[in-house]
Amino acid sequence: MVLAQILLNGILLGGLYGLMALGMALVWGVLNIVNLAHGALIMLGGYVVYYIFVFTGLDPFAAIAVAMVIMFGVGFLLQYGLLNLIVRSALLNTLLITFGLDVVITYLAQFLFTADFRTINPSYAGANFSAFGLTVPGIRFAAFVVAIALAAALWWLLNRRPLGLAIRATSQNLVAARLYGVDPRILYAVTFGIGTALAGAAGGLYGMIANLTPYIGASLTAKSFVIAIIGGLTNPFNVILGGIVVGIAESLATLYFGATYSDVVSFGLLVLVLVVRPTRTLRAA
Amino acid sequence: MKNSIVALAAAAAFASSVGLARADNVITLGASVQLTGSSANTGRYYRDAYGLTIAKINEAGGIKVGGKTYKLALKILDNQSDVNLSVRQYVQLITSDKVNFLLGPFASNFALSDSSIAEKYQIPMVQGGGASTQIYTRHYKYIFGTLPAADDYYASTIEMFGKLQPKPETVALVAADDSFDVSVAKGTRERLKAAHMKIAVDATYREGNSDFSSILTQIKAANVDAILWSGHETEALNFIRQMKSLNVNPKDYYGFTVGVPTEDFRKALGKDANYAFGMTSWLPSATLKDRWFGDALGFAKAYKAKFGYDPDYHAASGAADVETFAVALEKAGSLNPKAVRDAIAKINFSSLYALHTKYGENGQIILPQIVVQIQDGKLVPIYSDQFLNKPQYPVPPWNKRG
Repeated sequence: MVLAQILLNGILLGGLYGLMALGMALVWGVLNIVNLAHGALIMLGGYVVYYIFVFTGLDPFAAIAVAMVIMFGVGFLLQYGLLNLIVRSALLNTLLITFGLDVVITYLAQFLFTADFRTINPSYAGANFSAFGLTVPGIRFAAFVVAIALAAALWWLLNRRPLGLAIRATSQNLVAARLYGVDPRILYAVTFGIGTALAGAAGGLYGMIANLTPYIGASLTAKSFVIAIIGGLTNPFNVILGGIVVGIAESLATLYFGATYSDVVSFGLLVLVLVVRPTRTLRAA
Repeated sequence: MKNSIVALAAAAAFASSVGLARADNVITLGASVQLTGSSANTGRYYRDAYGLTIAKINEAGGIKVGGKTYKLALKILDNQSDVNLSVRQYVQLITSDKVNFLLGPFASNFALSDSSIAEKYQIPMVQGGGASTQIYTRHYKYIFGTLPAADDYYASTIEMFGKLQPKPETVALVAADDSFDVSVAKGTRERLKAAHMKIAVDATYREGNSDFSSILTQIKAANVDAILWSGHETEALNFIRQMKSLNVNPKDYYGFTVGVPTEDFRKALGKDANYAFGMTSWLPSATLKDRWFGDALGFAKAYKAKFGYDPDYHAASGAADVETFAVALEKAGSLNPKAVRDAIAKINFSSLYALHTKYGENGQIILPQIVVQIQDGKLVPIYSDQFLNKPQYPVPPWNKRG
């Protein structure tokens, strides 16, 4: 029963991990930007949800929808005003600029929000229910469902809607897309905006499970990076699956080796994937 | 790269200087503290306590050393919660900024590394942020500390267990893997063994961990009487929230080394903070007489008035560090680092922090931890060497709380 509960914990945690990585994978796959500020954007999204919840009393899940709109705007402006300058340049340039962005966002967050711990703590935050003798934490379950729903929405957008087809077309053949009347600057900004909105949703859900501080970004970027590599950059469901694999691996590592080694296992998985299936991973990246 | 870029900006932004020029009548205390980064929430206690205490001493006319009156000054740098930067900044404080003496950073792993700089340059450091016994077992001569030994943090709790009904028999011990928490866990294991209590779960987690679900599942399966937890405040908050969401209910007790005494903890958890036990080496009390603040209550009042939040033991400990230098300098009658170091080793004075502010042979203060509990949103002292108030015990399960 302990093993079953720990597997369940891992799966639920993995869903959230997958959602965290979804935005990074999209931006990386389409724009070829390895966004080192992704974790900082997750953190920012968490604070947006926190303040909407605290000041308006809006339910955090509804606040996430509002935060996604706000974060879309933030992402759109960042890409349009800043990242479009380096979008087709060498990878090192994108790493440098997003690294700088991460530092700026983090320290701006400390300045604006202070280093106090914040928790998005609705009255039902600790609620749980039993299923097959296991305890299912309500918020984690809801976060898992939201993650799957957003992955499905992203898949639908990319594969079934004109906007998504334009995004993919621009990614695959810029000249041909232009000939069909696509403005790549706007499309890149929309893509980054969608990635940032997904990061915002992940931040809101993260804030309901763990504490928000301005400094959570770096570790979330690292986690998202691992999952994006494991899940690949093309299919949103694979990214969620990658998150679940990492979530289960970390939970089992805690059970069998101790919680000190959970990160070793997730980064070990990254190395394993790169060794076993480098062609697939590199092609996707 | 990141550190060096931010270091330049932060050093410019946060370097606080009060009379930094090496004027004849100024004694400068230097410190590298977490003003930004993951530990900034606690680092602020030290920045604020150092500044307030120095201002108070100067308001009272300063200190007399060898017949001459001096004012104190503070040079404080932001280590961004980066221990490597902290070490470099202490070297800078000594060699470039030429401060006279050193105050400490927050946290044991920082104090452990930074104290080596104090020892190397033979400049006394009094620090109130590190409790790990590892800091004091290297036979260093120039490091003194105002937090009691981490090994003993759960001593009063385990002593109290013997007087509670029902008496907890099985315990889950959960600790982070940093210097302070390793010391706490080591000392606690020994004390639990001596008290003939069984450790049913003994888990160590990575510092900064935010997911405790696997550990909590093991605790739930072991059906323990008590959980004794050691780590950092943000981790404590996550642990409690996840305890509730996974419906983990120890039969009698759960206690934390940090977090419980702070206002932040109660604010962040709301009603879920109730029943949590914790500990503190300091509570504001009129019995703790102080030369500059009148007493500990006077300090707490002045601190709250100036900074807008309540001080906890970190702040009181930081204030005692400054006062230690003030008293020791007057006793030494000299600014010579060795003379001041020898004076610190011998002092014994009443401060806002401890009735007997004095240091053991290894340089660490000896103070008992007071067991505290949050009852209806208020922090209540429960036990030191006897019961101070009635504990709400055993703690009710999550689904039986109002």
